[in-house]
Amino acid sequence: MSGIGPMYPNEKPENPYVLVSYAGHLLGNYSSRLCAGCGYGIIGHIFTRLFEDEKLDPKLYPLVLGIGCYSQMLLTVHYATQKVLSLHGRAPALATGMKMANPLMKPIIFTGDGDCLGIGGNHFIHTCRRNLDCIILIFNNSIYAMTGGQGAPTTLYGANSTTTPYKMFENRSDGVKLALAAGATYVARTTVAHPRTFMKYFRKALKHKGTSVIELITPCVTYFGRKNLNNLGAEHLGIKGEKMDTAGKMIDWIKRNSIRVNKAKFMNEEELFNKYVIGEFRYEPNKPEYSEEYAKIQKIARGDK
Amino acid sequence: MDIENSKRFLPEGKHLMMGNIAMSEGAIAAGLKFFGGYPITPSTEVIEHLAVRLPQIGGVCMQMEDELASINAVIGASLVGAKAMTATSGPGISLMTETISMAANLEVPFVFCDVQRNGPGTGFVTEPHHNDIGLMRFAGNGEFQVITLAPMSCQELYDLTITAFNFAETYRCPVFIMSDAYLGHIHEVVNIPSKEEILKKVIDREIPDEITKKFSYKDDNTGKYIIPKPPIMGTDYCPTMFLSQPHSSEGLPTPKPQLFTEMMIKKITSNIDKISLTESYKLEDAELIIIAYGLPVRASYRAVDLARKEGIKVGIFRLITIWPFPDEKVKETVKDAKAVIVPELNYTGVIAEQVERVTHLSTPVVRIPNVCEIHHPNDILKIIKEVAK
Repeated sequence: MSGIGPMYPNEKPENPYVLVSYAGHLLGNYSSRLCAGCGYGIIGHIFTRLFEDEKLDPKLYPLVLGIGCYSQMLLTVHYATQKVLSLHGRAPALATGMKMANPLMKPIIFTGDGDCLGIGGNHFIHTCRRNLDCIILIFNNSIYAMTGGQGAPTTLYGANSTTTPYKMFENRSDGVKLALAAGATYVARTTVAHPRTFMKYFRKALKHKGTSVIELITPCVTYFGRKNLNNLGAEHLGIKGEKMDTAGKMIDWIKRNSIRVNKAKFMNEEELFNKYVIGEFRYEPNKPEYSEEYAKIQKIARGDK
Repeated sequence: MDIENSKRFLPEGKHLMMGNIAMSEGAIAAGLKFFGGYPITPSTEVIEHLAVRLPQIGGVCMQMEDELASINAVIGASLVGAKAMTATSGPGISLMTETISMAANLEVPFVFCDVQRNGPGTGFVTEPHHNDIGLMRFAGNGEFQVITLAPMSCQELYDLTITAFNFAETYRCPVFIMSDAYLGHIHEVVNIPSKEEILKKVIDREIPDEITKKFSYKDDNTGKYIIPKPPIMGTDYCPTMFLSQPHSSEGLPTPKPQLFTEMMIKKITSNIDKISLTESYKLEDAELIIIAYGLPVRASYRAVDLARKEGIKVGIFRLITIWPFPDEKVKETVKDAKAVIVPELNYTGVIAEQVERVTHLSTPVVRIPNVCEIHHPNDILKIIKEVAK
């Protein structure tokens, strides 16, 4: 996160989105709070576009954000959405309360890799277990970027970060495998280098009744790419290392490092080491959904037949 | 959700109830729609009872994966317009502090019942110990004010829970109910008022007719702190963003955290007259004053009656609202007293310290500390006699 520009020229703008974007562009001093080369711009753009295309009702699709670089997307995504900036890792728990108190809603949860798989791992597992009707988007940039590049549960083996200055030696946490084991009913992974695939998955998740987990691999040039070589996990293949210090190099690396799920089926563990398997892993639209099941319990409790 | 259901209100009249259940019934009468909790001795009866009762009235009772999730779910439910609460004990409130601070920032109303047990650590789980009383004021990072009510009987657990929900709706801050292991488990007769009487008292969550601002602010003309009704997500009365950082009255990030902090404190302290509830007993001619709250009040009543028989002029000033501390009221009450006696269920004497602060140490303050058991009236009587000499 760099280039902290003026957030609001006026303390009381009438419509924050309109005022910031237009006044900012007119004055020429508008700057996004995201770094050059960050993937969150793509995600914010696709989210806003889909929200408009699908004509989603902002009142029924609240946005719950955890804490991370993506919290800044709150200022850039569709202005009409009702957003809550919650605490680090607690977004799925907060969304559970919202969904249960108003079952018409379908919360969309923005979380990061450290947010969802690190501090909020428990809430993530149990939201998937309940099969609560919500969409969990995990933005995986394999680093704690907002605090300045510390190692995350998803950091690749051998990567360099400020808390693993020699090399990352811990095993990697896999959000998709965790979601599958916990019982989420729609699980997919894609990257920001495949925006159309993400749109497809996101549309499917909007129509799915149950927990949808979409993990998105996104580049962090400032804290991950700048410090790491693009042969991470592929040293044995003889790929020459080069610093990934531009967006192009990182997107290139992400594309090369991702393997389609149907291709990955025929690969062994060694070949998949430090790779991202992308695609759809599970789609079970007929599993019972939590808030609907609870409504049945309410009927039993009332004595309705 | 349909809450106007015949099962919301218990039949008018007398019921024998356990403290925890009286509290739960009070919450249901106040319009509770969402309870998120995690079992912990001695508050477990609350979630057990609400798991039966809430689905009957179209509410939701969820046993979450941990305390962190329970309180976050409660905040989520409150954001979309459901009256929500949680109940826990010492280790639970320690975990929940993070979110209490966030709720105070977002001005989300919710009620929190702390059925206190002995500590620190796991402690002695079935004995009362008012050792979270400081936590119930300072829970969470950052500066903000909360309201804490201290009932002393099952009847009050029922009545004050309704008051607590009203305070939460009016002042948009976390409201704590200070219970403890004994109070939560006493079985007593509770007099339940009629449905009409309860509904007259309850403040409902509704969208105001005139929508102006969504968060509290200081009116520049009058200098008063104005607290709008809580916004509801999923309706038009909702800001575009709920930011858990210093925000303006429209919910947008503000470059002036000083004003925000001032507002967080002042919106409660400027209304202290309406918030602080107190009771007095034989205070007219009292030379010695007992200041008490919670369970020790019960023993104090008996001790005062016994002392009066022996001709000692002693009275009780009872705090029902303990936080914010009613500085002015206490100052006024104890100004002519020879000494103040503070029986408390903790060693430090948290309220005794407050009395010393208010009186600038001009009046001697005698503590009667007691832990894990309630005071016997004779213990208090003994101290009264000693001080009266």
